[in-house]
Amino acid sequence: MKDVQLRLDIADFILASATALDRCDYDTWLDLFAAETRYVVMPRENLELDLPIGVMHCSSKDSLADRISVLIHASKFNPHYDRHIVGGTAIRERSEYEVRTATNFMVVQTTLTGVSKLFCSGEYEDRILLGEQMKIADRRVILDTFSVPNCLATPL
Amino acid sequence: MAPEQISSKPLGPQIWPRLDYSRVPYRLYHDPEVYQLEQENIFRGPVWSAVGLDIEVPNLGDYRVGHVGETPVVFCRNDDGVIHAFVNRCAHRGAEVVRFPRGNAKDFTCIYHAWCFSKTGELIGVPFQRGVKGAGGMPKEFDKKDHSLTRLRVAVWKGVVFVTFSDRTPDIEEYLGPLMIDHVGEILARPIRILGYHRQRIAANWKLYHENIRDAYHGSLLHEFNRTFGMSRLTQKAGAYMDEHHRHSILFQYSGSDSDEEARQAYAENMVQRQEYLTLKDPSIAKNHLENSRGVTTRIISVFPNVFFHQIYNTLAMRQLRTISPDEFELIWTYFGYVDDDPAMTEHRINQANMVGPAGLISMEDGEALEIVHRSSKPDQAKSTVLEMGGTGPIADIDTRAEEVTVRGFWAYYSQLMGLEREGAER
Repeated sequence: MKDVQLRLDIADFILASATALDRCDYDTWLDLFAAETRYVVMPRENLELDLPIGVMHCSSKDSLADRISVLIHASKFNPHYDRHIVGGTAIRERSEYEVRTATNFMVVQTTLTGVSKLFCSGEYEDRILLGEQMKIADRRVILDTFSVPNCLATPL
Repeated sequence: MAPEQISSKPLGPQIWPRLDYSRVPYRLYHDPEVYQLEQENIFRGPVWSAVGLDIEVPNLGDYRVGHVGETPVVFCRNDDGVIHAFVNRCAHRGAEVVRFPRGNAKDFTCIYHAWCFSKTGELIGVPFQRGVKGAGGMPKEFDKKDHSLTRLRVAVWKGVVFVTFSDRTPDIEEYLGPLMIDHVGEILARPIRILGYHRQRIAANWKLYHENIRDAYHGSLLHEFNRTFGMSRLTQKAGAYMDEHHRHSILFQYSGSDSDEEARQAYAENMVQRQEYLTLKDPSIAKNHLENSRGVTTRIISVFPNVFFHQIYNTLAMRQLRTISPDEFELIWTYFGYVDDDPAMTEHRINQANMVGPAGLISMEDGEALEIVHRSSKPDQAKSTVLEMGGTGPIADIDTRAEEVTVRGFWAYYSQLMGLEREGAER
């Protein structure tokens, strides 16, 4: 029973990280990350070639917060709505303190005139710290759609 | 002639409203006839196109797919170590022969009818060429020698693999000229190591990207991050230079040659900066470790017709452009560092890559800027874009970023190759 509850909690947590982005609720999203964290959007091409460059690469919570701050105050991009469609979460490794999970996702982008397109598909590879509040200690977003249409402004 | 009539005119030099290219008809971004002519006269014309790097094919038999315009090409390291290149289209029925972006091969076999080609593109096997049990097969006079893949001239310069379709293209060093040899040569002076790729598809005409790359004016207006953190500001010491034909260009600048206060005041007076500058919690991304003796902090280089090199602080990349249609192109960004970088520098280059590419803090805006130009110019192709920043008339090097002269230089060379140059036009 305990295991079932943990699975549900983790699935809720990952879903919350996705819907926060859809709502442009960036404070809530940032709050889901641990004080020491890493967030990388990795093109699948680089992953397969074992090359280190990501499309986004934040090696600390400060640099992740900077990414959001620039997004809000300085970046210009195609105005749109995002919808994350999140699949089931597989638990790959588990200890008393943390879990490693894998979750498929897609993002549908819709223009402000109501035209929707699949923007990308990929997978979250997460290391999540367990505790009263779960926190993401490491999120690697594997980007299958690595030929990015136009631009990637909002994190995935 | 009324401007409305221009777009229905046959394609020719008369499409240019002015001799100095300070007006560019929107038709040139949209007309399918223009696009077809570009594939023939430019991409398959007397130019060198970059298709990749020699370190992408380190071993015998390694291959990599690239593009010249929209034509897929393969370059491959033959058994003697020499790199050859051919069009990725079977000489039999036109099928794509190599279907993976990279790999290693003993030979290349088309999946359709199993015609087999060597690493240099020669036809070496045709199944059932003699038929079966005395029936069928190829005619007696069929000679495999006549059915190689279309082979291209190859030049490897400083590790960059260039190819050309034309026998008329001058040698690579003559083609690049002293300005490119100097600056691209400096960026590639030490052995490099690839750190990763970005790819980006932009729903706009490919020439809008050439204009963007040569447009020094937009760098700090569209890209607010540049302005805020002093990567690129109109108040800095800068320049926009071209080779003698104006086919290649470099925009360069010296970060630190203006003060934040001077810049803030200039942009406020020009009604651009409306609020306080934002700050970063982790400013290391905006740090520059000077790596060249001339003190240039940013160089954006365009080598006609399909490759760009950049040094933006400590990010180094080659950007290859391939056309997909009049309405779309793809950019392939190849990031690199030097083989002798220490781990701290490698980490810095990886972090600083956040600034560039499709999610780049100083470059994500370009895709959207190009798409909105492409979209809104389409319905009214007789109208023109305006290029007067930095002056009209003669096309020459200029020591400022408040300019679009280098963009006019692109059109001058483009028009010559396309047979669209008006008599008496600026060159």
